[in-house]
Amino acid sequence: MRQSFAIGIGGAAGQGVATPGDIFAKIFSRRGLHLNAYNAYQSIIRGGHTFLTIRTGPEKVTNMGDRIDLLIPLNQDTMDRHLSLLSAGGACIYNADTIKPGTPAEGVQLCPLPVSKLADISKNKVAQNTLAMGAALSMMGVGFQALESVLAEQFRKKEQAVIDENVNLARTGYDYATQNFQAFPHPLPMTDNRYAVLSGNAALAMGGAAAGVKFYCAYPMSPSTGVLHWMAEHARKANIMVRQVEDEIGVINMAIGAAHAGVRAMCATSGGGFALMSEGLGLSAMAEIPVVVIDCMRAGPSTGVPTKTEQGDLWQMLGAAFGDYPRVIAAPLDIGDCFTLIPEIFNIAERFQCPGIVLCDLLLSEGRLSVEPQALDFNPPIDRGEMITSANGNGHGEYKRYLITESGVSPRAVPGLPGYTHTVSSDEHAEDGVLISDEYTNTVKRRAMMEKRMRKVQGIEASAPPPELQGPADADVTLIGWGSTQGVIEEAREQLAEQGIKANQLQIRWLVPLHGDAIVGILKGSRRTIIVENNFSGQFARYLRSETSFLADGHIRKYDGEPFMPHHIAEAVKEQLAGETTLSIPAHEVMV
Amino acid sequence: MATTATPPPAPKVNRIGLPVLDYRGGKTTLCAGCGHNAISERIIDSLYEMGIQPERVMKLSGIGCSSKSPAYFLSRAHSFNSVHGRMPSVATGALLANKTMMGLGVSGDGDTASIGMGQFVHLMRRNLPMIYIIEDNGVYGLTKGQFSATADLGSKLKTGVINDLPAIDTCALAIQLGATFVGRSFSGDKKQLSAMLKAAIAHKGTVMLDVISPCVTFNDHEGSTKSYKYMQEHEEAIAEVGFVPHFEDISVDYDAGSTFDVRMHDGSHLRLHKLHENYNPTDRVQAVKALMEAHEKGEVLTGVFYIDPEKPTFTELLNMVDDPLATLPQERTRPSKQVLDEIMNRLK
Ligand SMILES: Cc1ncc(C[n+]2csc(CCOP(=O)(O)OP(=O)(O)O)c2C)c(N)n1
Ligand code: SF4
Ligand SMILES: [Mg+2]
Repeated sequence: MRQSFAIGIGGAAGQGVATPGDIFAKIFSRRGLHLNAYNAYQSIIRGGHTFLTIRTGPEKVTNMGDRIDLLIPLNQDTMDRHLSLLSAGGACIYNADTIKPGTPAEGVQLCPLPVSKLADISKNKVAQNTLAMGAALSMMGVGFQALESVLAEQFRKKEQAVIDENVNLARTGYDYATQNFQAFPHPLPMTDNRYAVLSGNAALAMGGAAAGVKFYCAYPMSPSTGVLHWMAEHARKANIMVRQVEDEIGVINMAIGAAHAGVRAMCATSGGGFALMSEGLGLSAMAEIPVVVIDCMRAGPSTGVPTKTEQGDLWQMLGAAFGDYPRVIAAPLDIGDCFTLIPEIFNIAERFQCPGIVLCDLLLSEGRLSVEPQALDFNPPIDRGEMITSANGNGHGEYKRYLITESGVSPRAVPGLPGYTHTVSSDEHAEDGVLISDEYTNTVKRRAMMEKRMRKVQGIEASAPPPELQGPADADVTLIGWGSTQGVIEEAREQLAEQGIKANQLQIRWLVPLHGDAIVGILKGSRRTIIVENNFSGQFARYLRSETSFLADGHIRKYDGEPFMPHHIAEAVKEQLAGETTLSIPAHEVMV
Repeated sequence: MATTATPPPAPKVNRIGLPVLDYRGGKTTLCAGCGHNAISERIIDSLYEMGIQPERVMKLSGIGCSSKSPAYFLSRAHSFNSVHGRMPSVATGALLANKTMMGLGVSGDGDTASIGMGQFVHLMRRNLPMIYIIEDNGVYGLTKGQFSATADLGSKLKTGVINDLPAIDTCALAIQLGATFVGRSFSGDKKQLSAMLKAAIAHKGTVMLDVISPCVTFNDHEGSTKSYKYMQEHEEAIAEVGFVPHFEDISVDYDAGSTFDVRMHDGSHLRLHKLHENYNPTDRVQAVKALMEAHEKGEVLTGVFYIDPEKPTFTELLNMVDDPLATLPQERTRPSKQVLDEIMNRLK
């Protein structure tokens, strides 16, 4: 089993859950540890429950895991909801003045802090948080110096007095715990590695910068807003034109306008905003103007559950806009992949002059992960496809923007290039861009243009790799997932292996092109297949069936708003192998 | 009898040496007599007379009979027929990505004031350097003549249906929202429309021109308030529009008491000869008031209502690099090493 340690901090929104979260994350990553953070929260600015899980360890931590080792409830509600997550060896640090402990499981250590005796709470409203952080680090066997320097950094914009006050408080908490509580049996390990810690949204934005995006626009919508924030914060320095637009209809069309003029343009939204973009997506396809749209999925339909995750937008992407047209759809497998995928999808979208869709979800967008800094390559190859960049000397040439070619790709010139003036239009058009349905409809030209565009599908197929089987070839069961479930399925397989069940995994990253033949080829060799996805109807299972006629033996689905935990999958696999069911819907044990 | 061949007369050219033919477009497929055709003609003349390099122009439109018309002028320019009501954002994206292009947008009253209203108002707020023309016939021509949102209350369709909602005045809106050159004209008023278009070309911010453009097929009958006849009887110019381009000698005197002389950013002069008492084209409140008063009286007020020749444009305010973003070399499309190091350090 992977060695890991998880802290859960919970309270009402506005109680300051985020700051201790940031501080723990910094301390862990500076100790050379991996980490994964997931924040369960509600669509409310003050009040409402927030629960942050930070899991750390010397090996890669790909998900929030199954258990909490240390609980820090900042209010009674958190104590009541989450104490049951602790098992023998766990501990709970809380403010003894305001919170009554419940009855913990055997072997759980309750660590009450007499906050009003240790600090002047009239002066510092979040004194309990700082005391608890100090206490926690003492119990984890982390030297105080680490906390002191991170606190100084955290409050660097404040006066020295504020820094001193916080350091003193933390010290008090630290010393109190050393004297009164029992430390965890294993001090937190330390390694020489150094990781970068980032959110999926930051990774998506940085991936855009690495891809050479020059135009980013968006309308705020959870959970995609973080991409806009990163872009807005870095716009000046990174020389990216960033615009907040009036709505998503404006967003997609503005991105198309910018891409038409010749820049790489990107935008991000969530399901509802994407629905508004649908007509624009068709324009991108018809006018053959490449744009990349990121959809950060949240639980739908409609406004849905704005702060909860789901993989429920797949069919919206597959069916977005009317008519047939080539498109590319990919789902990043983890936060690091949010970065890597963007330049890759831009290259394909630009080579084939079609829309590219990134299907991310709240889990990745708002989660945080430690990533090897080398994995964030800011110089990935840029392939803009067949572009005409130098003028041919004529003022107005014979250029055909939609030249019929064997590959379906017509060399693209951007406006302003002398000799290559042209018309683009949302109406079906002839090779020169002039519409064909004005006085009568030319069926020959329509057919030729339709076939030209659709020929690009073959090129797209060839430019993205098929998925590969992970884990032992000779397994009892093959788990099939897509996008963000990569890590949690991997850990579930490890748990199964410890219990003598061999499982391998086929994780889908490119949804279009799907590589159906390759997938069926792999799955033919499986003893049993189970599709794992974060939605109600098995959207990927239905897609796979529609493309390949492949029927999986079983399904594990979750659509309660929270992501899978490894044991949800492991237990579901066991019940299916025992023949109890072919559809498992694991229950989320706590209300967050 | 000996004949001496006389060489054909050299075609007349404009100040950049191009004949008017270079400003023409494809043959129109709109109905004969459609106001939109007359507007295309005026656009051709004014671009020709102003000596605009056709290749520098980006024509943009939405969907509708009006939005088709860019195909019928300036074939030598770039053109983008976008989707219904969405030209404002396509234009914004394109012109931000390449600010050296001259944006010329053509829309309809349905394309702008019905489906595209959200986009339109936000475009006006930006003062993006572009000309935005509404070819306004009060109906959706392309879908066979239903009322649009600029149809006047009480006006009548051919079928006898009466419009039961008040009209949206796109000019009043544009003035209020920040467009810096706002006027209304009539496709049948050759002289006024030409002068306004030329001034529009000389202006540096957003120009919003609402041009009443009768739909002969669906909205030119008795009871329509957007017909040729109605316009002939009810058009009321707020001022006479005169335009002297920057490359012409400005010698003609004018009476400062009755004429506003507006010096435009490129050195051209817009000469607005007052026909109305309280006319002041630099006063937004006056301008909106005049529009509302005319409306109460049942007049269709035309002319330049408002102009601010110097207000910074969107691209000026954004403080962009000089080179168009669209054609930056690849080395300049990614953040610099120093910026990247800074970003990475903050993640550790
Ligand atoms: C989303 C969408 N809805 C409806 C239509 C159908 N449609 C095409 S043009 C048009 C109205 C055009 O009216 P207007 O802009 O006034 O142009 P006109 O034809 O009068 O010049 C409509 C409703 C469309 N193309 N797209
Ligand atoms: S239908 Fe009306 S608007 Fe359309 S082309 Fe004919 S006259 Fe013009
Ligand atoms: Mg109309």
